[in-house]
Amino acid sequence: MKLKEKKWIRFRIHLVSVFFMGGLLTIFVRIYQLQVLQQDYLRGIAENGIIGTTTLPPKRGVIYDREGHELAITVQTGSVFAHPKQIKDKIETARALAKILDENQRTILKKIELNRSFVWIKRRIPQTQAEQVNALKLKGLGVTTEARRYYPGRETAAHVIGFAGTDNQGLEGLEKEFDKLLRGPEEKLAFMRDALGRPFAVTRPTTSDTSIHNLYLTIDKDIQYKAQQSLRHAVKEAKAKGGHCVVADPWTGEILAMAVVPEFNPNVFFHYKPYQWRNRAITDCFEPGSTMKAFLLSAALEESVVSPLTQIYCEQGKFKVGGRVVHDTHKYGKLSVADIVVHSSNIGAIKLGQKLGYRKFTEYLKNFGFGRKTDIDLMGERNGFIRGAKNAREIDRATVFFGQGMTSTSLQLTMAMAAIANGGKLMRPYVVSKIVDASGNITEENNPKVVKRAISARTARKVTTILEGVATEDGTAQKAAIEGYRVAGKTGTSQKVDPETKRYSKRKYVASFVGFVPSEKPRLVILVMIDEPRGHIYGGLVAGPVFREVGSWALNHLRISPHPSLLGNIQAKSAEAKEQPENPSEIVNASVSEAKPPLPLQSGQLPDFKGLGMREVLKRTHALGLKVSLEGSGLAIKQSPDPGSSLKTIKSVKVNFKPPM
Amino acid sequence: MLDRRLIQNFDWVLLLLLLLLAGISILNLYSATYAIREVGGSRIFMKQFYWFLIGFGVCLVMITFNYYYLERLAYPAYFLTVALLMIVLVAGKVMSGSQRWLTLGPLVFQPSELAKISMVLVLAKFFSDRGDVVEYRLRDLWQPFILILIPCALILKEPDLGTALFVGVVSFSMILLVKVNRKSILIFVGVCVLAAPVIWFGMKDYQQRRILTFLQPDTEPLGAGYHINQSKIAIGSGQFWGKGYLKGTQTRLHFLPEQHTDFAFSVFAEEWGLAGVTVLLLLYLFLVLWGLYIAKGSKDRFGAILAAGIVGIVFWQVVINVGMVTGLLPVVGIPLLLFSYGGSSLISTMAAMGLLMNISMRRFMFQ
Repeated sequence: MKLKEKKWIRFRIHLVSVFFMGGLLTIFVRIYQLQVLQQDYLRGIAENGIIGTTTLPPKRGVIYDREGHELAITVQTGSVFAHPKQIKDKIETARALAKILDENQRTILKKIELNRSFVWIKRRIPQTQAEQVNALKLKGLGVTTEARRYYPGRETAAHVIGFAGTDNQGLEGLEKEFDKLLRGPEEKLAFMRDALGRPFAVTRPTTSDTSIHNLYLTIDKDIQYKAQQSLRHAVKEAKAKGGHCVVADPWTGEILAMAVVPEFNPNVFFHYKPYQWRNRAITDCFEPGSTMKAFLLSAALEESVVSPLTQIYCEQGKFKVGGRVVHDTHKYGKLSVADIVVHSSNIGAIKLGQKLGYRKFTEYLKNFGFGRKTDIDLMGERNGFIRGAKNAREIDRATVFFGQGMTSTSLQLTMAMAAIANGGKLMRPYVVSKIVDASGNITEENNPKVVKRAISARTARKVTTILEGVATEDGTAQKAAIEGYRVAGKTGTSQKVDPETKRYSKRKYVASFVGFVPSEKPRLVILVMIDEPRGHIYGGLVAGPVFREVGSWALNHLRISPHPSLLGNIQAKSAEAKEQPENPSEIVNASVSEAKPPLPLQSGQLPDFKGLGMREVLKRTHALGLKVSLEGSGLAIKQSPDPGSSLKTIKSVKVNFKPPM
Repeated sequence: MLDRRLIQNFDWVLLLLLLLLAGISILNLYSATYAIREVGGSRIFMKQFYWFLIGFGVCLVMITFNYYYLERLAYPAYFLTVALLMIVLVAGKVMSGSQRWLTLGPLVFQPSELAKISMVLVLAKFFSDRGDVVEYRLRDLWQPFILILIPCALILKEPDLGTALFVGVVSFSMILLVKVNRKSILIFVGVCVLAAPVIWFGMKDYQQRRILTFLQPDTEPLGAGYHINQSKIAIGSGQFWGKGYLKGTQTRLHFLPEQHTDFAFSVFAEEWGLAGVTVLLLLYLFLVLWGLYIAKGSKDRFGAILAAGIVGIVFWQVVINVGMVTGLLPVVGIPLLLFSYGGSSLISTMAAMGLLMNISMRRFMFQ
């Protein structure tokens, strides 16, 4: 080989070397890119071994009541899915599934005949059913666990809590409002292939669980339950359209119960119409009627326009104003200002209001929180309506004093009454007391907040004294009286506007009672509103009993002792009640107690409550000054501590009830 | 035939490189087939071991004669290959849709493997014969074009697009070794661009789909892009230090397709990480550079071009296979030299390595 040629070929080989090294370098850079630069991404896929994913509804935080009882929880349910392409014998598979799942064979067949790689057969079924499907060991079928929202209290506080939908997304109430905090990380259902190429499913959260928060409410599950029960009963009795019952702590603005009837069960919310989900206690306005006289009185006394003893002539029940005639239910001549409120004279109220003036009165209404949102931590609240002085006709300027021609929500009315109860301060109501993150740290806390001082403490005291007269033999609401406690409150019976005629209806009323107890040191403010009762229409008669039932029960539950001077009264009455049972359930009690007489009560020992009705147990424990927690309904079957335990060592007693067979 | 000087000049470096690669390959194959060892996996691994023994035997045979004699055998070998490629189209064994295998008694082999060496041989012969031509123009190159085209077309007909392209690419890279007129290069590139659509529409459906999924592998993660994606995942999840020997999850769980053949590299990359891959690629780089060093030192033009052509085979197999499993190139089914499972490929590779060794051992000898 010639030297020149040799040089030439060497040059060429060098050229080729550079080219080849470049090629190998390119490959190396590519691998570096995969193994170092994209490693996290690719490793993630490799570790998950995911060949396909489906998003599962996220877990949600727990909603607790004020004592830590669970109101909304997440439970694990089974869900059955299929890989239709892998199912060989579709008809046989559908038949087997239909049998276990209790479904139509044809609907299942339709699903597994779809040309898809993944399809849900049935979701959220009991784990036992899912296990049965798993035991079939059929090719192309799979089972996974799925989180589902469950409300153990069913209807209890449903309107406050709201509910989460099928994909666990908050749809109503607190569930919707605090969705972001309650909602956990999204879970993925990942299909992995095993060594023989068969897919199997695993769930794994895409992020950690730490984003879940739990809510603690101010709601007391037991009071809420009682409020709903009593209200439901009353609405049924009165053949009414519905009703609200709000129980609040007047000093803090904490809502202890917020009941709305008709109720719905959030576990099967889809069986109800959307309007039934609405928390009407805050979203619906109504004309409050005579309950407003309490605020008229407050304003008049605060402004020193009158004194409680000032006499006003009530025109013998007929008074012409603005071209119309206003009537009183009873004919009155001269009434003191206090009596105008106690007997609820409309004519008296107009005359008292005219002394105060329309503008001044509406000013006070606004100070009491009417016409503006209470700013409660619930969604969908309405303002209510107060007519401006300019737009008010003469008749409007008159009727407003007894609560017609203006509107309010039940909650506004409750908070306004709470202001009288707590010495004049309008509080901001709230239902969420605190929000706690996954590790137990409080991330948000609600504290009592004074919105405004509505009236002075002195005026509040005076008004309270007068309102105490309402729930007496003398007043309009003797049925609201609670044995052993002083009750202050005001009834209301207002006419509703007929949507067809646009005039006040002669048949549609709203009966209400709003008051607080014990009036000398108020602990509870309770509103009861019954929408369109038939038969009795008066607030005192229709709403009063609910107030009494919820009030007495809640006072006992909260261990608020009866007034010492009224205590003798209660024992006498309870004895009376025992001898003369007033409802059928207590007749049953009596027969049971006969069959199995309770242990003779020895002083200083806990009596046996077995066989007694709930009311009776309450009375007895109350008399002993014990705090009692009741579970179930019907007759007492179990108690702890056991009968005969020394009362000195016991502070509370737990009694379980069961309906008689 | 093997005199003392030959033994003195024995290329220990090349032998060491081959042994190292063979060792790593067998180790890796054991892992790749570990998950299926109960169902024939261990047989695959043992078979490859025996193929390596045979391969080294072939390698030894290839150094016993002076490669000089091959110059005369180049054309006969070429025509024999072409004949075999024709026979395979008529009487070949059909496996998974293509006719690539010839049965000779107990032996089953792919004539297309033989074509790689024959091609290199015949081109080395062609270019060394015309050493005095300073600059090749297109009209001077029509003969090698025809030489390349015939086996390529026959292999394409089997069909085996991957090997056909491979033979073509190796052959063309050998033209790098000779000087070509600049204008000719431009014309050639132009013709290629024009020919591309013709080739595209001549391809089979699955071939078209492979190229499409190469361009966009994520469009169909469980369909045709599955192979590339799983391979990328396996390699990427190996990270820097790898998951450890026998611990590759992608491999264990059978996400990886063809893990002992075309995707053997992915298994290795998953278990040994970038560290192991670097070592492996350095071994290949060293093999390439050593081969070119042999070419440079070769005592004649034929030896130089032949050695460079063999290095071309090594280089292109590494680049195409690794490029394929890393998603850089379309999946064309080229095994990784000395690494993937497969008898034919291994024997032809070892024969080529034997030739390289032959050239290396005789560079100091004067005729």
